[in-house]
Amino acid sequence: MTATSTPTDRYVAATLRSLPERQRQDIEAELRALIADTIDDRREAGVDADSAEREVLTELGAPARLAASYSDRSLHLIGPEFYLDYLRVLTVLLSTLVPLWFVIVALVTFADGSPAEVAFGGALYSALETAMSIAFFTTLVFAIIERVSAVRTKRKATWDPSSLPEVRDKRGYFTEMIGGVIFLAVIVIAVVLAQTLGAVEGPEGTKVGPVASAVWESGVLYIALFFAIASISSHVLAYYTGWSTANAITNTVFVILFAVPAIWLAASGRLLSEDYFGAVGWPEGANVIAVVVIVVVLLLTAGDAVDGFVRASKKRRTR
Amino acid sequence: MSLENLLEGGEPFGGKCSDRLAIVCDAQYRVPVLNEEALATHRQELRRGTIVLACLLLLRRSNYGYALLDALEKSGFDVDANTLYPLLRRLEKQGLLTSEWNTDDSRPRKFYVTSEEGATLADTLKRDWHALDTAFLSLKDES
Repeated sequence: MTATSTPTDRYVAATLRSLPERQRQDIEAELRALIADTIDDRREAGVDADSAEREVLTELGAPARLAASYSDRSLHLIGPEFYLDYLRVLTVLLSTLVPLWFVIVALVTFADGSPAEVAFGGALYSALETAMSIAFFTTLVFAIIERVSAVRTKRKATWDPSSLPEVRDKRGYFTEMIGGVIFLAVIVIAVVLAQTLGAVEGPEGTKVGPVASAVWESGVLYIALFFAIASISSHVLAYYTGWSTANAITNTVFVILFAVPAIWLAASGRLLSEDYFGAVGWPEGANVIAVVVIVVVLLLTAGDAVDGFVRASKKRRTR
Repeated sequence: MSLENLLEGGEPFGGKCSDRLAIVCDAQYRVPVLNEEALATHRQELRRGTIVLACLLLLRRSNYGYALLDALEKSGFDVDANTLYPLLRRLEKQGLLTSEWNTDDSRPRKFYVTSEEGATLADTLKRDWHALDTAFLSLKDES
């Protein structure tokens, strides 16, 4: 006969699995003694061995729950403190960006010459993908906030009313962040539209958009988008955990990673397509737009970086 | 109203109306006021914390979990093993209990005993309990 594990073995293993290594041996020995003692008592009372074991394990309840009460770890991804904000952010982002994205993709593919049903299907697929990414990243950011702030509250033992955030600042800032996301989405969509729908016939007979095709095809724009999203996430994080110098520095790093390459591309004339501006009859347009891009990027990013430090120092003063 | 009575659900809830009906009645008018779930929650909340005190008092003499469970039950404290065992560990972690493995028996058992800090806490909690009891009694007089 082969040795099979008893229900008790399986119960103990299932309980220990999610407990920290260093506690396991101790808890296992104690748990096994408890189960054995209880079974002995039941058997003395006339219950047969198998049903006694089953009874005892049933009364102890699901191993996951037992393990949860052994460990002090939180068993939720996003707790009550942030859940409503999480829902709010998720709802706003999903209800604005997804339909917008759907319409844009449908229009662009349709204008590109695809039949309507293909354009519709592709747009639907793309919108679902976008919805999933939004949901994933929002959840991720809030899960991190949950854990960071749990660490923070544990560390500082005292709380006093002066650490409450400014009410007006809080609301305004929240709107500002949502606004930032929407602003970013509008810019991305505008660029995509200009590049695809707005493309004109270039000198070599190929379609050219305002963004230089080398930049467009290299994926640099995806990287820029990534840094923009990372920067927004770091803002959300800082908003909930309070701006600290560390937050401000992180934010500045993201800003620099975004701004330096963007300005370099624009200044060196690699960002925009001269062919496009020539074809639309505004040859000096490439330079003008490049200057506008440089100024806007400089203003936005420098303002954002400085803002982080200002908030961090304000936070210190109110303490 | 004694601690035991309250924990056993003797007088305040169970005495005059049947618990099996899962309805609590106002003792005088027999009006159903709560469903089973709400009742269970309220009673659980009232009991929470009393188990800690009972453990600290009982463990002035060193004992292991299963025997403690039995002792609690005999004194009228209704607690499950899956609540008690993690609780003992938490109290140990807080320094209110100390433990020692006893391997003299065929089955190794972890023995807990109330520490000095635990005894001090038990005294405080007991005083609080009596103060609450007095407070409840004074409420009764007024009504």
